Amino acid sequence: MFPVLQSNLPYLLQGAVYTVALSAFVVVFGALLGIVVGTIASAAPAPVRWLINAYVFVFRGVPVLVIMFLGFYSFPAVGLRLDAYTAVAISMVVYIGAFVTEAVRGAIAAVPKGQVEAAMSIGMRRIPMLREIIVPQALRLAVAPVLNISLMAIKQTSYASIVGAWELSFAAREVVERTLAAFEIFLGVMIIYFLICYPLSKAAALAEKRFSYVH
Amino acid sequence: MTSTASDPIVSVRKLHKSFDKLEVLKGIDLDVRRGEVVVVLGPSGSGKSTMLRCINFLETFQSGTITVDGRPVGYEAGDHRRPLGEARNAKVREHVGMVFQSYNLFPHRTVIENVMMGPVKVKKVARALAREKGMALLAKVGMDHKADAYPGQLSGGQQQRVAIARSLAMEPSVMLFDEVTSALDPELVGEVLKVMRGLAQEGMTMIVVTHEMGFARQVADRVVFMDGGVIVEEGAPGDIMAAPKTERFGNFLSRNLDQ
Ligand SMILES: Nc1ncnc2c1ncn2[C@@H]1O[C@H](COP(=O)(O)OP(=O)(O)OP(=O)(O)O)[C@@H](O)[C@H]1O
Ligand SMILES: [Mg+2]
Repeated sequence: MFPVLQSNLPYLLQGAVYTVALSAFVVVFGALLGIVVGTIASAAPAPVRWLINAYVFVFRGVPVLVIMFLGFYSFPAVGLRLDAYTAVAISMVVYIGAFVTEAVRGAIAAVPKGQVEAAMSIGMRRIPMLREIIVPQALRLAVAPVLNISLMAIKQTSYASIVGAWELSFAAREVVERTLAAFEIFLGVMIIYFLICYPLSKAAALAEKRFSYVH
Repeated sequence: MTSTASDPIVSVRKLHKSFDKLEVLKGIDLDVRRGEVVVVLGPSGSGKSTMLRCINFLETFQSGTITVDGRPVGYEAGDHRRPLGEARNAKVREHVGMVFQSYNLFPHRTVIENVMMGPVKVKKVARALAREKGMALLAKVGMDHKADAYPGQLSGGQQQRVAIARSLAMEPSVMLFDEVTSALDPELVGEVLKVMRGLAQEGMTMIVVTHEMGFARQVADRVVFMDGGVIVEEGAPGDIMAAPKTERFGNFLSRNLDQ
């Protein structure tokens, strides 16, 4: 069954390794960036908030493809000689970070006001309040949206080939051009993407459980 | 801060508070002495909650002064009325305990962790000591058997008793209670009032907003009746609740007679 897929599987899996590496980097650092910036946005003075608003607004309104091009061509312009992978990875971290920022900020805003007042009334100051009361409750609310953003990010790594970063979909297109077995190959690719995304969904379910508590 | 027994713990002077154009507090004067239990009565919307929240500076206010233990609340003492800033507001709040109608326990922390939160994170008390003192407070409110439960696993009355213990853990100079039994099923009200009665007997300074007329009559040293953002009448419960001086308080009492 699927002889073309079988013979080309090692090549596709090689591409998958790049997809996984790129995805892992983008998801981990994008989420970290978003958590930090989203938390700052909830506690910082107005000018800092405006800056963060602008960041979120701009990146959420632009296709990731454009951001990748922009990163790829503008890093050299400022004297940074980066390979395609690094350029794509950095661009995507900043891009995904904007989405996670918004998710985290929304989750923080969704923590009931009574929690803030209770913390204030035992004399807690802003930073310990964020750390002990607000962020732990917000993280739980943020797990589901951040999971969605992460899955989106994994799929968006398939655009990386546009600036010459070779990965799974790039490999798939090469194989299809050579073999013309589009259905077989892309069916295989679909399954590989699913296998990459599935553990993340599982991890998110675990995280949600870990952060959860009885209501 | 040196204070003698006769100095007021809480002192409110000419307090005015508006939400936008709506003036909610129209010049409140109130002194609460050490160990005194003041019960605040009044119809809905009369500004009872707002007054309590000003004392804890959960609300800003436009004019007047409040002091707790001699410390100014919210704004510098004197003519300048500069805001005190976050650190000093937090410092004042350490000395003011507040219990809310909706409990507001930290749902992601166990009962004992809720009680330890203030001492450990604000006062920097060692965890072991905070736990020991916390367990004693939980025993006092009858909740030590649930120390490791999460708030969501408790009844409303149990949650409220834990909330009282959490406030007490900061060893406040005064405790503010804002209709702390209003959200409870009737059969759970008693257990919370009993804890509050106990505190009053131990000499805790308390300001209690409540609709529980029985509690006012039996526990209050002084009853304050608010209406329309002013204090209309105040006095010992035995006096003014038996013979109200104003028609407004008289009407209020007769409307709430069944309690
Ligand atoms: N955050 C707010 N913004 C605008 N108006 C408010 C706010 N909080 C309270 N008010 C208004 O201020 C007035 C006094 O409210 P407050 O909650 O102090 O009354 P209360 O005496 O505690 O009443 P209740 O017995 O119903 O609790 C009401 O008219 C209320 O609508
Ligand atoms: Mg009220």
